[in-house]
Amino acid sequence: MTTLNGTPRTTAESAAGVVSEFFDRYRAHDVEAMTGLCSVNADFSYVPVELWGKQRVLRGDGKVRTVGKPLWTGLIASFPDLSLAVHTITSNDDGDVVAQVDIEGTQQRPWGLIAPAGKHYREPHLFIFHVGADLLIDSITAYWNDAGISQQLGHNEVD
Amino acid sequence: MTSSPVLPRTSAQTVQAFLDAFGRHDVEAALAVADPQVSVTVHPLGIGGTGAEALRKVLADLVRAFPDLLISVSRIVTTGGVVTALVKTEGTQSADYAGAINQEKHLDIDQAWRFVTSNGLITEVTAYWCQAQVYRRLAVKRYDEIAIA
Repeated sequence: MTTLNGTPRTTAESAAGVVSEFFDRYRAHDVEAMTGLCSVNADFSYVPVELWGKQRVLRGDGKVRTVGKPLWTGLIASFPDLSLAVHTITSNDDGDVVAQVDIEGTQQRPWGLIAPAGKHYREPHLFIFHVGADLLIDSITAYWNDAGISQQLGHNEVD
Repeated sequence: MTSSPVLPRTSAQTVQAFLDAFGRHDVEAALAVADPQVSVTVHPLGIGGTGAEALRKVLADLVRAFPDLLISVSRIVTTGGVVTALVKTEGTQSADYAGAINQEKHLDIDQAWRFVTSNGLITEVTAYWCQAQVYRRLAVKRYDEIAIA
């Protein structure tokens, strides 16, 4: 759908379509293509990500290109069979999209402080996206239970 | 004297009523806007069930363990019949919670609650948060020894 001046207009359907395509590209491990669906300055927040150091805490907040892309790349490298199942996608004409997604994979390389033991995890995630009028994702926020992933991978320390 | 007609609540208004009541620690008022057969899934606690009792336990456990519980809603997103609330839950532990003994630690945790509503009642609740963050703040050291400080 376009506006009178010919520019695309976000609808609930088009926004959901962009997000569906994003997860298809994620399932294909194509991080460049995932990033290509996001605006240059898209915001990124993986709420559970926090690495506690002695003097500071690193959080999974920032931009898709500087925080999201390295996280996706690292996750796929550590879990080469990474896959996902999209259960629901709901959206509105303002470009908000909410998706319930299970992500799973078998660990082959270190992930954060978790040493690889060849174990498999599957964890429910909730994603909240915003898709702009240019039909590019300009915000990604995600929630999940990192304790569930750690325990499934055999890592029992609360880091 | 005439009475005002009762206007049907929107999905967002229903969820807001739930969150307002929960914020006042009024668990029964929160449950009053939930269908008696509400579907309840709280992933970080491994809870999946049907009925108000399941939801009552989730809410009451938080209010009991954190008497100064503060619920701050940062955003409500309505997508069709689904309402997603992004909230920050804060409080000081005063009783055991989710297996963690009370060490009087302060909790601040970002959560997402996804609601489905129908006819002014919540019919489905799915909650997402990171239990690792909860245990980290409550000074739990290991998942296999949660009750040991």
